[in-house]
Amino acid sequence: MTTSPVEIRPGQGKGQDSNLVEMAWDPITRIIGNLGIYTKIDFAERKVVECKSTSSMFRGYSVFMRGKDPRDAHFITSRICGICGDNHATCSIYAQNMAYGIKTPKLGEMIFNLGEAAEYMFDHSIFQDNLVFVDFCEKMVRETNPGLLATAEKTEAPHADIHGYRTIADIMRSFNPFTGEIYKEALVMSRLTREMFCLMEGRHVHPSTLYPGGVGTVPTPQLFTDYLVRLMKFIDFAKKLVPLNDDVFDFFYQALPGYEQVGNRRILLGCWGSFQNPDVVDYSYERMTDWGRAMYVTPGVVVDGELVTTDLVEINLGIRILLGNSYYDDWEGEEMFVSHDPLGNPVDRRHPWNQTTLPKPQKRNLDGGPYSWVMSPRWFNKRTGELLPLDTGGGPLARLWTTALANLVDTPYVKATGKSVTITLPKTASSGEVQLEWKVPRWANTLERDRARAYFIAYAAALAVGFVEQAMARLHGGDVKVFQEFDVPKEAIGCGFHEAVRGVLSHHLVIRDGKIANYHPYPPTPWNASPRDHLGQPGPYEDAVQGLPIFEENGRDSFKGIDIMRTVRSFDPCLPCGVHMYTGDGRVIERHHSPMLGARRDEG
Amino acid sequence: MFNFPHRSRPLNVNTGKPETSPTAPAHTPGVKQGNARGNLKKEKGLMPGADGQEGAKASARRSTGINADDREPIDPRMPNLPPA
Repeated sequence: MTTSPVEIRPGQGKGQDSNLVEMAWDPITRIIGNLGIYTKIDFAERKVVECKSTSSMFRGYSVFMRGKDPRDAHFITSRICGICGDNHATCSIYAQNMAYGIKTPKLGEMIFNLGEAAEYMFDHSIFQDNLVFVDFCEKMVRETNPGLLATAEKTEAPHADIHGYRTIADIMRSFNPFTGEIYKEALVMSRLTREMFCLMEGRHVHPSTLYPGGVGTVPTPQLFTDYLVRLMKFIDFAKKLVPLNDDVFDFFYQALPGYEQVGNRRILLGCWGSFQNPDVVDYSYERMTDWGRAMYVTPGVVVDGELVTTDLVEINLGIRILLGNSYYDDWEGEEMFVSHDPLGNPVDRRHPWNQTTLPKPQKRNLDGGPYSWVMSPRWFNKRTGELLPLDTGGGPLARLWTTALANLVDTPYVKATGKSVTITLPKTASSGEVQLEWKVPRWANTLERDRARAYFIAYAAALAVGFVEQAMARLHGGDVKVFQEFDVPKEAIGCGFHEAVRGVLSHHLVIRDGKIANYHPYPPTPWNASPRDHLGQPGPYEDAVQGLPIFEENGRDSFKGIDIMRTVRSFDPCLPCGVHMYTGDGRVIERHHSPMLGARRDEG
Repeated sequence: MFNFPHRSRPLNVNTGKPETSPTAPAHTPGVKQGNARGNLKKEKGLMPGADGQEGAKASARRSTGINADDREPIDPRMPNLPPA
C-alpha cells in the first residue's frame, strides 16, 4: 500500500484535458486518521472538477465483537476512537439499555449528560481553535491569500468591544499556532473541559464509570460544584469565542464574494439526537419516537432545508449500508438477524442489524473501482424513494438545524424557535448574561459548518448549567441513586442513537445465547467520508469538494489547496495519523509500505 | 506476506501460558454478577427513595459501620449526602 502525499501530476491521463491537474492529499493532517482526498483541478477555470475520498485502514469492530459478552460492548467500542470514545461508550450503553429492558436512574442520566456536554465543549473547542483556525490564521492566509490579509488589516472587527481584537487581521494573528493568544487560551480551556469530563465519566476519553443501567460516579455536592466552577470559567471564554467566529466568517463572505460556494452542497443533514431527557426516556423501542423527541438536541433529517422527520423509529428503519466502491463483498446471501423491529415494521437487509461485514482487501482503484475501506451509509427517504447521502455538517450544523426547525427544545438556557436556536449564557466573572442566537443559514457550506461549531460550544455549555442545577436539586432532595441493576437476556436486540462530537452515531446490537451475535457501530465519518455508492452517488466530502471554486491566490506550482482543506476539515473528519508532506511537479519524495490484511507484497 | 523479524526474537519477560483466549466472553457462568437483580437490596445504607423506583436515599450507614445511627442529619427532613 502506497501513501502518496500531495502529488501533482500534470494532466497525463488518457484523453484528459491538459488543464486538469491531479492533486492528492493523503493523509489529511490535523485530523484523526487515514483520510486521503484525490482531486482533479482545472486551474484555467479555477475549480475542482472531481474528488474522491479514500480511507486506507480496516478496523473490523463489527467482525470481532461477535461472540463477546454484551456488557463489554461499551468498553470495547470506546476504543474505536481516541477523541470521541466516550460517545461510542454512551451510544453502546443506550443500545444495551434497550436490549436489557432497563433505564438509567435520573441522577445517573444527568451525569451522562454532564459528561457528554463537557466532551462537546472540549472537542469542539480544541478542534476549532487549535486545528481549524490554523487554516484561517495570519500565517496561513499570508501564504495563500496575501491580498485578503491586506484587506483584513484594514477591516475593523464588528465585535471588537467583546473580544478585544481591533481588526480581522488581529483575530487571525491570535489564531497563529503556538504563539497566538486564542490558540494558547484554547489549550488552557481544553484542560478545564477535560477535567469536567473526568469528574463525570472517570477518565478521558475512554470512560471508566459509565455502565449500562447507570454510572459508578458518586454523586456529591462537591462533584457538581467542582464541575460548575470550571464550567463558569469556560463560559467566559465561550462568550467571546462566538462573536469572534462571526467576525471572521462574515469577513470571508464580504471580502471574497462567492466564497459561500466553497464546500457548498445540497442540504442533506442528519442528526440522531443527544442529551436524554431523564423524565421521559425509558429506552424502550416501542416509545423511542416519544423519548427521541424529548432529547435536548432533537434528532431529525433535513432535506433541502425542510425537516423531513424527527422520529427515531423512522430514522432507524431508513438506514441503509450500501457498497459500491468499498473493499467489501456483499452480504446478500448472509443471515438475516432482524426481519421485523419490535413494532412489527420490516427491517431491510441492508440495515445495520442485518449487516455481515465481509472484507475484501485489494489495490486502490480510483478509475472506476473500489478505493476505500469506508462503506456508503445512506438514508432511505420513504416519501421520495431516494437513498440520501446525508452528512452531519461536522456535527453542530445538523444538530442546530434539526433542533431549530423541530421547535421542541424549551429549557431556561436553550430554546428552539422554529427558525433559530437561542442560547442564554449566565452571568460569569467577567461579564453579565449574554444572549446568542444561531439562525438557520442559507447554505450548508464550509463557513457555516465552522460557524455552527462555535455556537454549539455555547449550546452545550448553556445546557450544562441547566443539568447541574437539575442534578443539584435532585441531590439536595436526598436522591443518590445512579445505577439500575439488570440481568442479561438470552435473546434481545437493541439500538442506540447519539451524537458523536462530529455527528450522527448509532450502535446496533443483536444478542443470542447471552452473547453478541451481531454488532454494528455507525459513526459520523462513514457517512461524511463515504465513497461513491453503487448508484454512483458521491459521498458528502466528494460532493462538497467537487465543483468547489478556488480562491487561493497561489498558482499551480505553489498551490496549497487551502479552500479544499478548509472544506474537508469543516466536516471535522475523524478516521483513525500521519505526517504531511509535499511534493511538487510530480516528484514523489517518499513511498511507504504498510502491512495490510490480505495484501500481497507484489501488490505494494 | 510480510516478515516480522522481531517476532522470532525471544521475549525477555516470562509471561507464562495464557489462561484464557482473547475471544472468551468476560463472564464465566456461576460467578456472581455485579449487575444482577437483587444486589441493590444488599447495599448497606441505600433505601428506596420517596418516588419508589426513580431514586434511592442514603443513610450514614453507607459511609461507616461505626455508630452510624449517631451520624444521621440532626433534622430528619435533611438529606443524607454521604461522601460515598
